[in-house]
Amino acid sequence: MADRAEGSWRVAVSGVGAVSGLGWGIDALWAGLVAGRAAIGDFGRFDHARHRTHVAAEVPEPDPALAKTLSGRRLSLADKFALAAAAEALAQAELPSLAGLSVGLYFGSSTGGMWEGEAFFADLLAGEPHLRASLLATQQPNGPGDAVARRFGIEGPVETVSSACASGALALGAALEAIRSGEVEIAIAGGADSLCQITYAGFNSLRSVDERPCRPFRAGREGLSIGEGAAVLILESERRALARGVKPLAFLAGAGASCDAHHMTAPEPQGIGAAAAIRAALSDAGLTPESIAFVNAHGTGTPLNDAAEWRAFEHALGDRARAIPVTSTKGLVGHLLGSSGAIEAVATVLCLARGQVHPSSCGGEVDPELGIDLVLDAPRPLPPFAPDGATISTLAALSTSLAFGGANAALVFTRAEV
Amino acid sequence: MTDVSLTASLRERIKRLIVDSLHLDGTDPESIDDDAALFGEGLGLDSVDALELVVALEKEFGIKIKSNEMGRESFASVASLASFVEGRLQAS
Repeated sequence: MADRAEGSWRVAVSGVGAVSGLGWGIDALWAGLVAGRAAIGDFGRFDHARHRTHVAAEVPEPDPALAKTLSGRRLSLADKFALAAAAEALAQAELPSLAGLSVGLYFGSSTGGMWEGEAFFADLLAGEPHLRASLLATQQPNGPGDAVARRFGIEGPVETVSSACASGALALGAALEAIRSGEVEIAIAGGADSLCQITYAGFNSLRSVDERPCRPFRAGREGLSIGEGAAVLILESERRALARGVKPLAFLAGAGASCDAHHMTAPEPQGIGAAAAIRAALSDAGLTPESIAFVNAHGTGTPLNDAAEWRAFEHALGDRARAIPVTSTKGLVGHLLGSSGAIEAVATVLCLARGQVHPSSCGGEVDPELGIDLVLDAPRPLPPFAPDGATISTLAALSTSLAFGGANAALVFTRAEV
Repeated sequence: MTDVSLTASLRERIKRLIVDSLHLDGTDPESIDDDAALFGEGLGLDSVDALELVVALEKEFGIKIKSNEMGRESFASVASLASFVEGRLQAS
């Protein structure tokens, strides 16, 4: 069992991998994030002529060499995103083989292979004689996590969380607990989701999608932009990482969760539930708002979310809320739904490891109703020490995920020695 | 038409059915050996393929295949599958 006093409470992030509208891999992700380049625009996955809006953040085609490594029967697009992100994260963590190791997988997904399921039902409705029943076999939200487990031989617990847009962050919380409790030595945590017609139509029906690329925390914002992709983080105890000579990129120091218990889709407008999750994560990490150097917000760009989220920051962070830089990864890669918490965790780790907070990109002036210090068009360098002037190891970042159903999750990461 | 060519055409039909119904894109039906294993080794089909193949065979040939008839012997190869289907067609 981990023990706060022994310093084994925080868990090392020893590798990351990602696939997003910005491209395949961490380098493509970071290059886009730090440049504030939004991957949101026209897309070709399906004909959207009859939908209300016409933008999304679609993952580009992989190059042929990469595509070859992702081939295999009965793999959904989301499965392939997950396989690529997992392979990248394992390589960075210097884990070429998991044989004989105690490994668990903790994934978040909302849509799994829903895109493939839609193709099956489209064939069925069209009277296609050779229906591909195997398309249905990939449809479940647990598909991407299971595909990673099969490919990499993960024989410990393999779990998928599907709590809407908090799934990825909740999966990371579960992975953190599994390492602390000693249930597993290595956790492969993250999530994957792909664009599909049901979510695109659904969010459009709710009038939650902006006709323009989303504008988190900006005045006049009109909704989110749907994205797709995967992100994977390799977690292990700090002691284990150091013993095998792997330098942690950052630490996952705490996790918290709560529910608004308020509405099917709308957040509770005062952000009370979201604030509870943030407080729980800070408390779990043994830190105060004074340590938080930046926030990677849920920041969807819907009028309701961003306003309620700001209230939550005010409740949970107090006077510090107005002084902490905030960014939204969704402004650049869109909303990855069940894997949004995972890719935003990766973005948070990269910002900590590389010493700068990525900007939130284009979108007009910041909402004057919010007292938010939004990182606008250029990356913001991180201070060398935590805002409270304490040691470097308490320089922390907060990542929030506020989902449909009122599910809230917050994660606290701290910087590794640089 | 002799029995030999009947059997041959049934085998060709089954090969095409396997490729079409299991969406083995890139596999030429003619490249499937009559006696090569369909499952595991050989063509490398698995139990999900078996379920899809049964549905396709039932539809194509208007036969019913019970679970206990999906045995290893009948479904071992294109040749054994053709004699199984032939038997069922003659019985009906």
